[in-house]
Amino acid sequence: MNLAHPFVRAAGLALVCFVLLIVLALVYPGTWLLDTLTGLFASGLLVMSLHLLVGYTGLVSFGHAAYFASGGYIFGMFLQTPDIVAAFGAWSVPVATLLALLGTGLFALVVGLICARLSEIYFAFLTLAFQMLLVSVIQGLVQYTGGDQGLMGGIPRPEFLGLDMVQVKDRFVFSAFLFLAGVLVIRLVTLSSLGATLRMVRDNEVRTAFLGVNTYRVKVLAFTIAGAVAGLGGVILAILTSAAYPEWAGWAVSGEAIFTIMLGGLHSFYGPLVGVVVMRFINDVTLIYTTHTDLAKGVAILFVVLVLRRGILDWIIDLRAARRGRKEDDNVSRALSKAGKEAEDAAS
Amino acid sequence: MLRLDHLVKKFGGLTATNDVTLDFPAGTLSAIIGPNGAGKTTLFNQITGHLVPTSGKIVFAGEDITGMKPAAIVRKGIGRAFQVANIFPTMTVEEALASAVSAHAHAAFELSSAFPRRDVKTRTEELLALLGMEPVARRISGEISHGDQKLLDVGLALALDPKLLLLDEPAAGMGPEERWQMMDTVQRLWKSQNMTLIFIEHDIDLVFRTAEIIHVLRYGAVLASGQADEIRGNPEVIEAYLGSETDATEADSREEPA
Amino acid sequence: MLNIDALMNCFGNSACLVTQSATGLIIGMLLFLVASGVTLIFGVLHVVNFAHGAFYMIGAYAAYSAYGVTGNYYLSVLAGAVAAAIVGVLFERLAISRVYKENLLMQLLVCYAFVLICDDAVKIIWGAEYLAMGIPSEFRVPPLRIAGGVVPPFYLFLAGSALAVAILSVILIRYSRFGKIVRAAAENATMVSVLGIRVPLYFAALFGLGCALAGMAGALAAPVRSLTPGMGLSILIESFIVTVIGGMGSIPGALLAAILLGFTRSFGSVGFPLFVDGAMFLMMVVILVFRPQGLLGERMVR
Ligand SMILES: Nc1ncnc2c1ncn2[C@@H]1O[C@H](COP(=O)(O)OP(=O)(O)OP(=O)(O)O)[C@@H](O)[C@H]1O
Ligand SMILES: [Mg+2]
Repeated sequence: MNLAHPFVRAAGLALVCFVLLIVLALVYPGTWLLDTLTGLFASGLLVMSLHLLVGYTGLVSFGHAAYFASGGYIFGMFLQTPDIVAAFGAWSVPVATLLALLGTGLFALVVGLICARLSEIYFAFLTLAFQMLLVSVIQGLVQYTGGDQGLMGGIPRPEFLGLDMVQVKDRFVFSAFLFLAGVLVIRLVTLSSLGATLRMVRDNEVRTAFLGVNTYRVKVLAFTIAGAVAGLGGVILAILTSAAYPEWAGWAVSGEAIFTIMLGGLHSFYGPLVGVVVMRFINDVTLIYTTHTDLAKGVAILFVVLVLRRGILDWIIDLRAARRGRKEDDNVSRALSKAGKEAEDAAS
Repeated sequence: MLRLDHLVKKFGGLTATNDVTLDFPAGTLSAIIGPNGAGKTTLFNQITGHLVPTSGKIVFAGEDITGMKPAAIVRKGIGRAFQVANIFPTMTVEEALASAVSAHAHAAFELSSAFPRRDVKTRTEELLALLGMEPVARRISGEISHGDQKLLDVGLALALDPKLLLLDEPAAGMGPEERWQMMDTVQRLWKSQNMTLIFIEHDIDLVFRTAEIIHVLRYGAVLASGQADEIRGNPEVIEAYLGSETDATEADSREEPA
Repeated sequence: MLNIDALMNCFGNSACLVTQSATGLIIGMLLFLVASGVTLIFGVLHVVNFAHGAFYMIGAYAAYSAYGVTGNYYLSVLAGAVAAAIVGVLFERLAISRVYKENLLMQLLVCYAFVLICDDAVKIIWGAEYLAMGIPSEFRVPPLRIAGGVVPPFYLFLAGSALAVAILSVILIRYSRFGKIVRAAAENATMVSVLGIRVPLYFAALFGLGCALAGMAGALAAPVRSLTPGMGLSILIESFIVTVIGGMGSIPGALLAAILLGFTRSFGSVGFPLFVDGAMFLMMVVILVFRPQGLLGERMVR
């Protein structure tokens, strides 16, 4: 095995993280941190997958929550069907997860085929419209989805591989696995040859077409992958809450995902994860003093946009680069790219 | 290699390409000159599928490519650089070239290989050397000098190993020194790469020195074709183009009308 | 999900037809007022004001308070518009103007932060509970009866004033000196500032005007809607639907789309109550897929 190969390194990192998280689950005495992290895994996948579109392909989707919700609902509806669970037995949860992944991917593919023909703001609005349409359909099909009330009554999750999703530790480990698998997929995409094509489309779609690349197909592919991974995030949340709600596909979820990316850093791979943690931190700290968490988030965002003028991780990387640039008296832009690469390498 | 057959392109009342019939034999280095608005870029846009001709035929390597999609035409082996440098501003020079090479190596959709694939990397390094762009290889494309950006644009086209390379004013917007250098590079590329090359240029001196065959375009129509001497001596050309107008058009680099 | 019978019954019954049409009309006109603010700001400043719904909310709450103090509805509407305009100008000066040159995402982010802050501010000032203003005393008169249907005179006032104000402001931007200056400044700020005109002031004023339209819509609607923090969101999305269906930047398009949406809402609540929102989004999808430039928009989209 070639340890210098970027794929191997990315997979290795994921594996190390997984082991560390398992150790954490074993030694951590309480439940609070584990459930908090499980929640972060869910939003983490939503945000990271959206970042593949917004940050890497230049596709601003306003409707990414649709795929998040789709994952949760497919997972939940499958497991709430007694006959199916009886048929699959201990394999029910893995099968439901796989189905959620594939089903959501298919859904994203169909929407992507329609949306990718439009550019910029029209693309954004069309994805938004599809998302709201999904909310309406969920609310309208009361007998299947529970309508406004969501998938109530709990989602049965039969034990598998010795993991019982009712146990905090068990579901934490399974969620961590799904999360790392999802992030790894996105990481591999960005490192692969396809990843370079995505960046070309982001930078200059017309020129990319002139290099003989079918950019429409590139966009549909990115949209599908991102959708499927977001669906995995929905599965995690459905496991955690034992439910699914129409709000998961709501405007607010998509909106917050975009802002989380911007807050954390649009130009770095791990920026969105920083954003998720910061958002959650602001939320929880504010809650100690007051219920007005939105106010605190709003002020924080304004600060980031108007003072830092870029996401937090981007800002840190630029700062480091600037300092280094002064020290070495080197060309700033070269240092910039170097520091950016190093930060990514160090992280991976 | 490329034959234009009674090509006509109309924009409403304006005839931008007026019954152009031209032949570009394989392996030649030809230039197209003509005043602003003569329809030079429009001609390129039709060859590369950006625009569909109103009538007439475009035949490339024996095949009628009229009306084909740009991406399909690129795959037939026609590469193109643009009047206004058309690059990938946030990528490094190296990364941009490698991406283009990767696309040409059918790896654009490849998930199984890390970027850049080994063969892609090798070819990219060759290209960097060929273009003399190693010193700026790791700089961000959007931040390098204008001349380097134009060169990178040519490099992107070159990455496709084109049989026919179209360069729209490769030296536009450069200082006198740089222009000569650029034309030298173009000539060197043409010699080393064994391809057919057509470039557009306003500067008569540059054209006379660089091109084997020159086509003069005016009001969308071909005014004259031939070698430098013939063109130099053509009274019509002298009157229409080599007059006082040259100075005014030289430094011009308007936006691409596409 | 679909109740064709009820819908057909309504179409066959003049009373139902009139009542629902009147409802559709006021929804449409209020929406048009909000959307024309979005269109004005987008058309001139090229900023998509994602915070527009917040100004609608500010207008509604300001009107609620003003009505409590003065008891005069007309004054309350004015108060709503003025309050939204003041906050709008402040928002423009302090935040949005700093990201005019940035990309769409940055503008979106600033607007989102503002919406978050506004929603919480409203909760702090007015509380999180639903508030109802009730039909103002001026309009507590027996409803008109038209062909068996019930039409409160207040509805007519709403629809009429919303339409009038929206059209007046469009005329203002097209033909007044102010409108000409601000449009010229948006095209070429340096050129206009050289003439000794303080461009930022004009931009702020235009932004304020757009917000005032939203605020006025909120104030007008206050008696017939319940007030709640976050009420701006649905109106924002609906006004975007209107802008997209009508064609971005096209005022007649926005009017047509607003009426279309109003009627979809009012008749939809009879025929497919659970899928009213869905129907609107479906319309938006169909338009974007088959005619992305909108019903009356002219701009070509790839
Ligand atoms: N897409 C278009 N639609 C309408 N008119 C066009 C279009 N493209 C070009 N034209 C017109 O066709 C004429 C020829 O333009 P073209 O760009 O081909 O000239 P050119 O010879 O390349 O000039 P320059 O030296 O300035 O680059 C011009 O009058 C131009 O305005
Ligand atoms: Mg040209």
